[in-house]
Amino acid sequence: MMRELKFMFRDKAVLVWISFALMFSVFAVILGLNEVNQQKAEIAELLQLDQSERETTLAKQSDWGSAAYYTFHTTYDPPSDFAYAALGQRDVIPWKHRIRMLALEGQIYETDTNNPDFALTGRFDFAFIASLIAPLLVLLLLFDLRSSEQTAGRLKLIEASVISTQKLWMLRAWLRISTLLIALCLPVLIAGMVLGVPATTLFLCVIAVYLYLILWMLLTLWLTRAEQTSAFNLTIMLGVWLLVCAIIPAVSTLVIERAVPLPNGGEIVLTQREAVNDAWDLPRETTYEPFLERHPDWIDYTAWDDDKGFEWKWYYAFQQVGDQIIEPLSQSYRDGQARRDELAKWVCVISPATLMQRIMERLANTDMRSALAYDQKIREFHADLRTWYYPKMFRSEDFNSQRALETIPIFDPLK
Amino acid sequence: MSASIHINISMHIAREEWRHWLRSRLAVISFIVFCLLLLFTTVLTALNMQEASHQRLHQQEKAEETFLKQPDRHPHRMVHYGHYVFRAPPPLGMFDPGVDAVTGQSMFLEGHRQNSAMFADARAQARTGGFGALTPAKLYHLFLPLLIIALGHGLILREREARTLGPLLCQGVSGLSLYVGKFLAIGALVVLLSLPALFSSIGASLLGESWLASLTLYFANVLYLTIWAALTLFVSALTRSRSLALGVLSAIWVLSVLVIPRIGVTSASITLPTKGKILTDMRMNDDMRKLGDGHNAADPAFAKLRAELLAKYDVERIEDLPVNFRGVVAAKSETDLTNTLNAYAEKRMERERAQASHLSAYGWLSPYLAIAGASRNLAGTDLETHHRFLREAEALRYNFVQGLNQTHIEKLSYIDDINRNKGEEGWKRARVGAANWQVLGNFRFTPDSGSHRVVRAATELASLLIWFLTLVGLGLIASRRLTP
Repeated sequence: MMRELKFMFRDKAVLVWISFALMFSVFAVILGLNEVNQQKAEIAELLQLDQSERETTLAKQSDWGSAAYYTFHTTYDPPSDFAYAALGQRDVIPWKHRIRMLALEGQIYETDTNNPDFALTGRFDFAFIASLIAPLLVLLLLFDLRSSEQTAGRLKLIEASVISTQKLWMLRAWLRISTLLIALCLPVLIAGMVLGVPATTLFLCVIAVYLYLILWMLLTLWLTRAEQTSAFNLTIMLGVWLLVCAIIPAVSTLVIERAVPLPNGGEIVLTQREAVNDAWDLPRETTYEPFLERHPDWIDYTAWDDDKGFEWKWYYAFQQVGDQIIEPLSQSYRDGQARRDELAKWVCVISPATLMQRIMERLANTDMRSALAYDQKIREFHADLRTWYYPKMFRSEDFNSQRALETIPIFDPLK
Repeated sequence: MSASIHINISMHIAREEWRHWLRSRLAVISFIVFCLLLLFTTVLTALNMQEASHQRLHQQEKAEETFLKQPDRHPHRMVHYGHYVFRAPPPLGMFDPGVDAVTGQSMFLEGHRQNSAMFADARAQARTGGFGALTPAKLYHLFLPLLIIALGHGLILREREARTLGPLLCQGVSGLSLYVGKFLAIGALVVLLSLPALFSSIGASLLGESWLASLTLYFANVLYLTIWAALTLFVSALTRSRSLALGVLSAIWVLSVLVIPRIGVTSASITLPTKGKILTDMRMNDDMRKLGDGHNAADPAFAKLRAELLAKYDVERIEDLPVNFRGVVAAKSETDLTNTLNAYAEKRMERERAQASHLSAYGWLSPYLAIAGASRNLAGTDLETHHRFLREAEALRYNFVQGLNQTHIEKLSYIDDINRNKGEEGWKRARVGAANWQVLGNFRFTPDSGSHRVVRAATELASLLIWFLTLVGLGLIASRRLTP
């Protein structure tokens, strides 16, 4: 085995590919860490500004209604410790939202994303290296394992000199793959240990990459033939790579999109606006009826003081009713997202590249599931805000900015 | 030897190469697979874009109709009622949808706020890894080079490995005619592969796209593929074995198509970091607070305005003004606020443009980045166009909001206005007629003119041309020095 190792390192092509792998991985980890740190810094600044702004805003108010109208709340989804390895959905789905007590459906679809050119090109993160570049490196390392010996006229000689030819090729291939694994995973592991990423996450990541590489190794050994030229073998393998890594995922995405149509976004927001705006002209009872179904506690507090043509409690009641009206549509949008994600899991069965990508995003909490969980947290937080404000408005309590500041709900991403 | 003989020899070599390809099952199969993929993607993307275009146009009309159909009411309620705009994809979106999928195409316009675009398709897309949805542009820019490499890496090497290169050169076939012949062979392949793109270009032009833009887009793609052909031929002339040539070419492909662009993205976001819209908004709030709240005419920020108005009309109380002071305050504060909002929005767009040009500077390292940028520019699906969408939407927003404020100033009396919350009667009196909603302009987003887009793509096209000339030059030099 030591002899085989020596052989391997004498092969210049192997050295080139392995150093490429190491270089890519180091790059990916550094760039990933940088991005995650930028996101963390942004969140920190947001929270700081959020606090000071809340203080100034609340200090200026004189009733609970305008306090709720003018106070914004920052919600965010902090990157996980392992997010540097897979930035995932965070480029496309917003991980921060600023919301207030108005109808949530009018606010939650806002996007605050990066330069669209970036999302279009894609990120250079470890998940990209592992799922798309690593297989290419495997086949570049292995495509001429046998055929090069054949071309050099040594194949028969080598095969005659060992007991089991199959074992020899497996050993050679396995040595190359394992070296590749070390080159790929070392930077991720070092970064992970420094950051204190849970050992199980790192372990699962390495195992996943290893199995993935072995899969590609077996595929390459199976599909390449010694009697064919190296060039023929590489062409075949590039074709396989293209099929598994690009065509199957793309076609599946398309099929899934057709199979699970989502309610049109424009429809959702237009309906929502109509619902909220119509309420201004509707009899108050029409608004209060669906509202009280959800909040029967306030049934005795909806009396209208006719001197004031406007009441905050009624205003927020119709905001909530607006959300209630759009609920089925909005729910089916989210169900559709979840359903599409569910179906995407099945693509893993035919495309290991999809599996690899999804495993990395799962480990890093940057997948669709995490995005939907964040969406849910915003909704819960918004509900908390309502639960906090309603008693104060319906019981016409006196406004007290100090009390407001001390007890107002604050978004907690870990809850 | 006369030139015509040279040409004859070259033609002969090209024909031989094609005969060779047609005999190879691998070559034929991979060619057919790619052609099917191209056709499938081209047709499907065209259909999707047409559908999206119709749908968004329909929604736009509906949004305008509902706005105009609103009953008589207080003008400021219409300011908050707001309006929606939708961006229909340009005809060439059927070749390169560009940023369309990631930016979102609808936007809510209302008073006092600049919202962001909503419902990007990418947000709801199934995550299947890989390279996302296939579009004709992606196939041309990312994957066709692989086919060219696979079919072309042996162009000259094959002769060398079959030991026919020596005899060929001895028989008086110059390296140059060999090079030209092989180039013709692979050039014909490129032209054949480019036909679906030509289909998209012609189709788009028939739908009203400028011929200049669509044909430039087509030729830019042909040029890009030819760059890969020239590169493949150059490597084939230089290396001694096919597996080495393939290895080198694959490495170049990985670097220039997969690695450099992504490194460029990250490098742009590190050297020119942007803060998100929320953070910018929050920083801006400090500036905003100084402007005063336009809902509150008693805000001390408007004291000066009030004094000026009273002096101008020579009256004592705002009730005696011939105009509605609340409307004046609303209009004034909208102007100030919009100036601040626009200043921040421009700064942000400026930064995004700087990032984009930082990224496109990597086009000198990777022809992929050059063609991807040029293609979006020409198709009218680039960042610049998205920015224009944001600006035009903002102009529309400002105009209708100020139009409504003008109505507020002129057509609603101040007394009715301040008594609007005094019971049912007051509520009814504080209204203006629905005819005033006509201040809303129509919104139909159209791409820039063809020549405008070509100019915008000029740098990238130039870098493609330089890539092409350099590689052909190197190939010619290598072919002259060709030895068996």
